[in-house]
Amino acid sequence: MNILAPVRRDRVIGELPQGFTKEAALHSRTSFHPKVVGMCQAQRTGTVGRFKISKIIVVGDLSVGKTCLINRFCKDTFDKNYKATIGVDFEMERFEILGVPFSLQLWDTAGQERFKCIASTYYRGAQAIIIVFDVNDVASLDHTRQWLADALKENDPSSVLLFLVGTKKDLSPAAQYILVEKDARKVAKEMQAEYWAVSSLTGENVREFFFRLAALTFEGSVLAELERSSARRIGDIVRIHGDERDLYLTEKRKRTKCCP
Amino acid sequence: MSLQKPADGGSGGLAGSPEAEEPEDGSPGRCLPPPVLPWDRFSAWLHCVCVVGFDLELGQAVEVIYPQHSKLTDKEKTNICYLSFPDSNSGCLGNTQFCFRFRQSSSRKLSWHCLLDQLDRDLPIYLKKDPAYFYGYVYFRQVQDKTLKRGYFQKSLVLISKLPYIHLFNTVLGQIAPEYFEKNEPFLEAACSDVDRWPLPVPGKTLYLPIMGIVMKVRIPTCHDKPGTTQVLQSMHQADSQISIALPTVYEVDLFRCFSPVFFHIQMLWELVLLGEPLVVMAPSPSESSETVLALVSCISPLKYYSDFRPYFTIHDSEFKDYTTRTQTPPSVILGVTNPFFAKTLQHWPHIIRIGDIKVSGEVPKQVKVKKLKNLKTLDSKPGVYTSYKPYLNKDEEIIKQLQKGVQQKRPAEAQSIILRRYFLELTQSFIIPLERYVASLMPLQKSISPWKSPPQLKPFSKEEFMKTLEKAGPQLTSRLKGDWIGLYRHFLKSYNFDGWFRTRRKEMTQKLEALHLEALCNEDLLFWSQKHTEVETVDLVLKLKAKLTNGEKLPVKPGTMEKLKKHIDSIILAQPEDLQGILTKTGSM
Repeated sequence: MNILAPVRRDRVIGELPQGFTKEAALHSRTSFHPKVVGMCQAQRTGTVGRFKISKIIVVGDLSVGKTCLINRFCKDTFDKNYKATIGVDFEMERFEILGVPFSLQLWDTAGQERFKCIASTYYRGAQAIIIVFDVNDVASLDHTRQWLADALKENDPSSVLLFLVGTKKDLSPAAQYILVEKDARKVAKEMQAEYWAVSSLTGENVREFFFRLAALTFEGSVLAELERSSARRIGDIVRIHGDERDLYLTEKRKRTKCCP
Repeated sequence: MSLQKPADGGSGGLAGSPEAEEPEDGSPGRCLPPPVLPWDRFSAWLHCVCVVGFDLELGQAVEVIYPQHSKLTDKEKTNICYLSFPDSNSGCLGNTQFCFRFRQSSSRKLSWHCLLDQLDRDLPIYLKKDPAYFYGYVYFRQVQDKTLKRGYFQKSLVLISKLPYIHLFNTVLGQIAPEYFEKNEPFLEAACSDVDRWPLPVPGKTLYLPIMGIVMKVRIPTCHDKPGTTQVLQSMHQADSQISIALPTVYEVDLFRCFSPVFFHIQMLWELVLLGEPLVVMAPSPSESSETVLALVSCISPLKYYSDFRPYFTIHDSEFKDYTTRTQTPPSVILGVTNPFFAKTLQHWPHIIRIGDIKVSGEVPKQVKVKKLKNLKTLDSKPGVYTSYKPYLNKDEEIIKQLQKGVQQKRPAEAQSIILRRYFLELTQSFIIPLERYVASLMPLQKSISPWKSPPQLKPFSKEEFMKTLEKAGPQLTSRLKGDWIGLYRHFLKSYNFDGWFRTRRKEMTQKLEALHLEALCNEDLLFWSQKHTEVETVDLVLKLKAKLTNGEKLPVKPGTMEKLKKHIDSIILAQPEDLQGILTKTGSM
């Protein structure tokens, strides 16, 4: 029952999409983790085609362009007068990664102060957080730290993937943008996030960003599942795979440092 | 099949657009126009959300109605106020969830009711909307709060809807109410805006409903589903309840748990509900009364219970006087009550179900006899069924044994409920099949349909003739139960349930006849006919055809029939003199 329609052909991912910059990427491997590739192959030929789903939340200041970013990718539309989000918007985007169906739940939260108190409800259980700022608005970059801190209260900082995304790149003159990127990459490094700069107006890097997001979230959730199942196999002893835990990290994560 | 999503002109996006899935499941040729106005989608699910508080001076009061433009009459508000709070002494400390049903005080038109009617058409009969009633789904919180005068926080969050989807709305309330009580209005605003992003409640499709950070996956049944095959949605992804939950049902209650206090009498209760006998459920709290009433109403599914039923009924209800007056025989209704006062008010009622706290199964219910009505006391009467009713059918010991065994073996409650539901379904089907078969024989023969005469009439229903069919084709063919089936049918034929069932069947069959007639008409050479007849007759024909074109929308005609009809009309008009053409095009109900 309930056979899913095939995934759109332009939502199929076979290779690991690369980061925006090598330096500010979550990891620098050029292809999917071998274990993930192996597991997906086994799953494709195996009897259980487990369908996977991940929750992504999008946070950031009022009118930095969170909804526009999602609409550009999910509907390929752009309307800069899009109404302010009340509470939260929701989109579901389906992918096929390494032959396995994968869905992203995108929760687009409101930037307004009025809705801050309820946002935590939406934050729970996220696998990735997209923190959005406007590259033309320095204050919005400053505020990303606070947005992250709020979002992390509801999630496990050690397992959630972070993306710092600068929007409205088309409005930023090249010389000015270089300076902003320098600051932004510093912030990204502090929070151990992957940095991206996009334009929802022109579509620059939007698709690339979401593909990277989907691929890394997928990889993360497959690895987490592998770890869980191997822990179960061993029985009562839960072995901690130090190397896998730090898969994305070059140094030990100290989230507390950037989020007081 | 197009894999591209339709360009959705900034309408906010159909959340988890169901079109992406099960494309062959939809009904082709009946594309629903996407509702685009704000609150359209919300209204397809909910009428409004109310917050009912308790004011020390005023008593219950509706504090908030959201969206603000929703209309409720004063009478409706009063009903909602009283029905949203428990009215018994039991206390209900903590959180209590229950549901009620109340009469709408005036009929109002929804802005796009046609669209909702279309959705309604594909629903099983027992889930179809009743235009005269609303449901209220309540999450009531009563906790100690020293900062408040009298030391208690008492408030209800209430969803008002036309849809009888108790499990869905209870789940929604469980998601939003606890946090609403802490975060207040922005939370309510956001939750309502989530609902306004839901896809339409289309039967038969898998719907993804985002609410406050999680996605509920649901499927509303259709009238085409085979009865008894609950299409359970499988949770296809990792069981992460923080992200998504798949609801196994939108409307069903936990049948076994509800009936466990009166376990030995289920078959008698089935008869009482089937016959539309006046029934009252006296329970310690509204959550037990409402669940039990809904369980009773659903036990005759796929038959619809046509009389009024109130999962939770209070002395303040507008219908209180009508329903409890001693001067008339008790009405054919099922009431769920908690106020001990009712034990006195409804003393004269023929059948009373008294339940204590519904316990989680684990105990084996002991054999209990039906209790005599005179033993019913106002307070602390023992749980059980108080009646002098003698069932028509012999008791089925097997189902009792099967369920008892299940209790001993610690079979999960869901499995017990499925067994019980299947038992009721088979019983109801055994009962109704002979009626269905007889009613089908009332249909005139296909050959009696002539395009040039009005559609033939159904033969009238004759009780005696129907009774005669029972000898050879009675329920004994499908049920091993013995007893006075004839007596049961005789009683049933006098009930509201039969009346409602037969009216629905008759309407369907009449429409079928009209559809067949229309198809036959469209297969004729109408232009040729009109050329052989006078102008007056032709004009008359065109007007009649035009009337059929407007009424035909509701008929179950073969695809293409209406297009054919339109072509006939156009070609006849075109063959007329020019002045007449103009008049004919304009006249009629186009």
